Amino acid sequence: MFYREAGQFKSSYKEDQAIFPILQDRVGIAAILLFAYIAIPFVMSDYLIGAIMTPFLILALAAIGLNILTGYAGQISLGTGAFMAVGAFSAYKFATFSIMLGGAEATLPLVVTILLAGVVTAIVGIMFGIPSLRIKGFYLAVATLAAQFFIEWLLVKVGWFTNYSPSGVITAPPLVILGFEFNTPAEKYLFTLTFVAAMALLAKNLVRSHIGRGWMAIRDMDIAAEIIGFRPLQTKLSAFAVSSFFCGVAGALWAFVHLGTVEPEAFGINRSFAILFMVIIGGMGSILGSFIGAAFITLLPIFLNNVPPLIGWNIGVDMIAHLEFMIFGVLIIFFLIVEPHGLARLWTIGKEKLRSWPFPY
Amino acid sequence: MTYQDVKPGEVLLAVDNISLSFGAVRAISDVSFDINKGEIRAIIGPNGAGKTSMLNCINGFYHPQQGTITYKGQKRSAMKPYEAAAQGIARTFQNVALFKGMSTLDNIMTGRNLKMKSGIFSSMLWYGGAQKEELEHRRYVEDIIDFLEIQAIRKTPVGRLPYGLQKRVELGRALAAEPELLLLDEPMAGMNLEEKEDMCRFILDVNDEFGTTICLIEHDMGVVMDISDRVMVLDYGGKIGDGVPAEVRANQQVIDAYLGGGH
Amino acid sequence: MEDMMYELLFFLEVLFSGLLTGTLYSLVALGFVLIFKASGVFNFAQGAMMLFAALSLVGFQEMLGVHWTIAFVLTVALMVVVAWCIEKFVLGKLVNQEGIILFMATIGITFFLDGFGQTIWGSDIKTLDIGLPTGSIDLGGIFVDRLELVAGLTAAALVVSLAIFFNKTKIGRALRAVADDHQAAMSVGISLRTIWIIVWSVAGVVGLVAGIMWGSKLGVQFSLTLLALKALPVLMLGGFTSIPGAIIGGLIIGAGEKLAEIYIGPFVGGAIENWFAYMLAMAFLLVRPQGLFGEKIIERV
Ligand SMILES: Nc1ncnc2c1ncn2[C@@H]1O[C@H](COP(=O)(O)OP(=O)(O)OP(=O)(O)O)[C@@H](O)[C@H]1O
Ligand SMILES: [Mg+2]
Repeated sequence: MFYREAGQFKSSYKEDQAIFPILQDRVGIAAILLFAYIAIPFVMSDYLIGAIMTPFLILALAAIGLNILTGYAGQISLGTGAFMAVGAFSAYKFATFSIMLGGAEATLPLVVTILLAGVVTAIVGIMFGIPSLRIKGFYLAVATLAAQFFIEWLLVKVGWFTNYSPSGVITAPPLVILGFEFNTPAEKYLFTLTFVAAMALLAKNLVRSHIGRGWMAIRDMDIAAEIIGFRPLQTKLSAFAVSSFFCGVAGALWAFVHLGTVEPEAFGINRSFAILFMVIIGGMGSILGSFIGAAFITLLPIFLNNVPPLIGWNIGVDMIAHLEFMIFGVLIIFFLIVEPHGLARLWTIGKEKLRSWPFPY
Repeated sequence: MTYQDVKPGEVLLAVDNISLSFGAVRAISDVSFDINKGEIRAIIGPNGAGKTSMLNCINGFYHPQQGTITYKGQKRSAMKPYEAAAQGIARTFQNVALFKGMSTLDNIMTGRNLKMKSGIFSSMLWYGGAQKEELEHRRYVEDIIDFLEIQAIRKTPVGRLPYGLQKRVELGRALAAEPELLLLDEPMAGMNLEEKEDMCRFILDVNDEFGTTICLIEHDMGVVMDISDRVMVLDYGGKIGDGVPAEVRANQQVIDAYLGGGH
Repeated sequence: MEDMMYELLFFLEVLFSGLLTGTLYSLVALGFVLIFKASGVFNFAQGAMMLFAALSLVGFQEMLGVHWTIAFVLTVALMVVVAWCIEKFVLGKLVNQEGIILFMATIGITFFLDGFGQTIWGSDIKTLDIGLPTGSIDLGGIFVDRLELVAGLTAAALVVSLAIFFNKTKIGRALRAVADDHQAAMSVGISLRTIWIIVWSVAGVVGLVAGIMWGSKLGVQFSLTLLALKALPVLMLGGFTSIPGAIIGGLIIGAGEKLAEIYIGPFVGGAIENWFAYMLAMAFLLVRPQGLFGEKIIERV
């Protein structure tokens, strides 16, 4: 069967506006979901699921968060790591609220904990977004570094955030929903997958709504946007809030589901850069791109760690780290030059080609 | 603030004695004029005369140091551009100011933002309220697309369109707001004859069919004299002429400004 | 009375040390300003260029066993090559792109240079010794670190020579012209490409000097790039296009964060040097978005 719209006449704007207007795409996405839900948990080893799939999904969520802010709303942030940290630590505080209040073991329901962590992060995000109303462009990028360093410092210095754990490390409670405990890597993976897939859908809906258009308008030409009626305050701060919400949830998942125990250093400036790279390589202004970018950045180090020895080339661990840096650098430049819209755009172009294949006219 | 309803022929917007300077540059000095409901009002003048600055004052982007602006019988205090937009003032720009990363359709949809009310949560959930609202406005925007005859470029990113079409899309974006007062800054600059004719037709149609009041800046004298009801002439920030086209054409000061000003 | 005297001396000592550290920030910021003025590129890689230059200097010294002056010359040559490559492979391919894309490209350059430098020169902490004085001297009761003093003087000398370069030489004037007007620069007869290469080379040399100072103080190591990030708040304060701004911004940030660390730090658990500069700059920008020396921008449509 050819990949095309022919015969799939879109009789209404409603159909035209669907996320996947073409049948083949709908089939494709269903297949991917089926594969992700059924095949992966059965086929992949626990190690691969725990060490690759779950972190990949969580980082993709964080990338969606940053993409909303940078890719859609055009506000560069170098503080994503810090917002993830806020999510992780506030989830921890919510999970242990009863201890704080002097009681024993009561916890909030897991999903509520994670969502509340997102809300707290959104509020912190708004606070650090306020300068964006006066400061633009590079100046703002530097201002977000203030968030990065300040939040990291705060979490290390103020014992309250870690319930005065002497090492500064927090340990997540067991993952229980309605009495069911998510224990094995596969179970945890399914939990993450559900969360991330649902939130990706919400993000996609949002960016194609008038709110998303407001963000893009501010990004493309802020003065014109204001003149046609978008309020800079609401538009920018809503982008900060939603973006931080996503990053916060990602941080909470990172701490609770992926690592189990975590310290603030896990959310340092390098994390911020890694997520920025996912967005650039995957595609600014694309939800799909956030997944592709996250996959790319997660897999590259694994590839570098495993492939050279396979072909009999033994390079030290140090060397691999440096190579990774160089390759990231080159890739970033490469993508900015060749396709600023990243891998997601290449994918779309490929599809367009396919649409006219094999008869281009 | 309460605004009165203005009937056709009455004054919709009155500018009284406004002056605006940037440091030592006096962009507008002590200019008064008014725009009647339903008319096509032109502002002309040599380069740097202060025409764009005038539009910028009207839609709240610049704030004149002196003078007042009265809109629908209500004296306006200094306002933000988005407040002016909310009161029904829309505009296009001398240098096309479209949202480059978005398609034609999306660009025009942004013009409807003030009428779209669904919040973040319902937009996230989409099905139900947000979708219904989106479709409603989509229908309106499709009508504009048909009106401007740009169906073929509906999904094209505007950055890739030729200049003439970009200007047309920009007009569409302004129309999408269903403005009461439409400000057009050199809508025909850089167009060829055919494109100019199209644009003239659109402007006249908008004025005719929707009764939209239009204030436009244009350098092409033929066009201005043809389509506008009244013309104001600025030179070096000051007003040197105002009236129906025939009057303005006969005004000695205007002739001097244009001949002496290197035009 | 005695106490107050002591307090005052201590305060001055902290202040002075902060100011001198500040000149080191200024040195890095200076590299940024040069590039931003001439090409409008916000060069995030200035810190990486500094580390790369310092690593190369030490590397040449060790590898070839030569005197540091020879290594210095070699490194300068290397930085010119780096500038050429950046123009050829990165900026040249991104002409007419938005500033934000160029900015992100320089983040790419940062990662590449960090990785590349450590790949060829290794990643262990190296001591950089070109015979700069150590220890401290007593300036009327205030103890001042000699190295910091030298750094401060070097920074001053560098600024003066750059000022002469920009005002008195043909190339310098062309560079200034290009900042204001590309056409003007072309009419001087120098191609835009050449100008960019020159500017990036000069920024590379400024980075090298900064790297020597920091490297002598802390050893040449990866964490220097984090320190170099502090040049960013300096720029926010001083404005991206002002050389005096870079100097004064550096002094304010340097002194501000030292004083804050000593006088506020103890009450909040210390180590506030990590973020104080950024917060200070951000707070300042909220009041004055164009920075200390930038002009107020009135946007147009
Ligand atoms: N934001 C601003 N900052 C400084 N000066 C400005 C600004 N906006 C306008 N001016 C100055 O005000 C004067 C009038 O400019 P304006 O753009 O209104 O002229 P115009 O009549 O629209 O000219 P043109 O036909 O060239 O578009 C000019 O001297 C211009 O340089
Ligand atoms: Mg104008």
